[in-house]
Amino acid sequence: MLAASPALAQALAMPGQSLAFGRDKGNCLTCHVIAGGDAPGNVAPPLSDMKKRFPDRNELAAVIYDETKRNPLTVMPPFGRNLILTHDEIEAVIDFLYTR
Amino acid sequence: MKRAMSSTITRALFVTLGLLVTTAAHAASTQADFDAAYAAAQSAEKEAGALKNQWTTTEQVLAAAKKSAAAGDFDSAVSQARQAEALAKASMAQAKEQETAWKAAVIH
Amino acid sequence: MRLKSFISLALILFAAAARARAADTVNPEADFKAFRDYFTKRFPNVPLNDFVNGPYSMDADLRKQWEAIEDFPPYDFSVDRGKDMFATPFKNGKTYGDCFPNKGVGIRQNYPYFDEKSGQVITLELALNQCRQANSEEPFSYVKDEMASLTAYMAFTSRGKPFDIKIPNDARALAAYENGEKYFYSRRGQLNFSCASCHVQNPGQHIRTEVLAPALGLLNAMPIYRSEWNGMGTISRRFVTCNSQVRGVPLEPQDENYRDVEYYLSYMANGLPISGPGARP
Repeated sequence: MLAASPALAQALAMPGQSLAFGRDKGNCLTCHVIAGGDAPGNVAPPLSDMKKRFPDRNELAAVIYDETKRNPLTVMPPFGRNLILTHDEIEAVIDFLYTR
Repeated sequence: MKRAMSSTITRALFVTLGLLVTTAAHAASTQADFDAAYAAAQSAEKEAGALKNQWTTTEQVLAAAKKSAAAGDFDSAVSQARQAEALAKASMAQAKEQETAWKAAVIH
Repeated sequence: MRLKSFISLALILFAAAARARAADTVNPEADFKAFRDYFTKRFPNVPLNDFVNGPYSMDADLRKQWEAIEDFPPYDFSVDRGKDMFATPFKNGKTYGDCFPNKGVGIRQNYPYFDEKSGQVITLELALNQCRQANSEEPFSYVKDEMASLTAYMAFTSRGKPFDIKIPNDARALAAYENGEKYFYSRRGQLNFSCASCHVQNPGQHIRTEVLAPALGLLNAMPIYRSEWNGMGTISRRFVTCNSQVRGVPLEPQDENYRDVEYYLSYMANGLPISGPGARP
């Protein structure tokens, strides 16, 4: 199986990037530093080394879906539970985050 | 072992099956379907209002559903009305959970 | 023998219930101390009175920009307008001053208060519209400039005076206080934030480029001239916009929940000086 070149991988991950950065969608830059994003907030940890920090994709999905399950006092919005992002959108965001 | 069906019949069979499947999946929504879905969504949003916990997103999707229906696009309208109902219900679940959950956040 | 054991059991159960009730009883004084300690411990280098300056108490660069702005305060026009409004009689010849103690001068720090006659929290904005209506005038919108001008003027006459919010020994006042506390800590909106999410858990942090203000002293600078709004904002306006920002449908301005949370936050700021009207980014 051919591995995608880094540039190709980046281009393929684009839908997830606009979902992550878009104010109407993930709006992740409000709280997180993410490479490629401008004027980020610092409420939450920077999103880098994501493959290393979340080797289990399901764990990352759970954080995005509803982090209150793991941490009842979190300020991370429950993007899945509160229907902010669809399942497919969350998957695209995860694909993008794994390039950071 | 049976002989394979002739390719013409097989093709015809698949086309027919295909038509049946697509027709079933895209049974067009009607004004009546929309009215029912919209009423359910409005009722849920009213309940959320009684709890003083409506979401702006719910209101936006309700408005979009009404607009779709007015334009005659009942498939979209029904889908949006159902989405609005889901949002209203989620906002109520939040209010009910927060009735007690807020205490855990208080500074002690 | 049986009766004795029954009575003992009943007494034990009653004592346990009483202890549980005590644990549930509202205790504003204890809350006040815990709230105060939380912020002074988290920000040991911020002088207590500086908390009223919101984001400027948290961020040195932002403070420099603010100090430059205060050379020509953007809310001056609002204070002047409020002063004129106070000097202009209603159609019936009475004035705002006739509705308030000390002609409405130097009293802002006493609001909100719990009105035992009507059994509700009275905020300054509500009192001003009640004054208008008592004198056959139409009430002002709570989120627009007239109300901002009136409260800007009244805040200005109270500058430096410490908040002095009272909770009378009245179950209804305690209930209003607790309702305000509940509103403050309850998550709302599709984004699932409570007031505390930003102002207790993350003061001094940035959301995008905005610095979050601490909840301690949060209302002392109100009303504010907000650069982002190119204009003045009352407490009502701020509550309404905060709700929208977390994707919650706002309540009616001066809704009971808004008045109760203003009561709670103001009480938590007792002793801290009124700094309004203020300027914010």
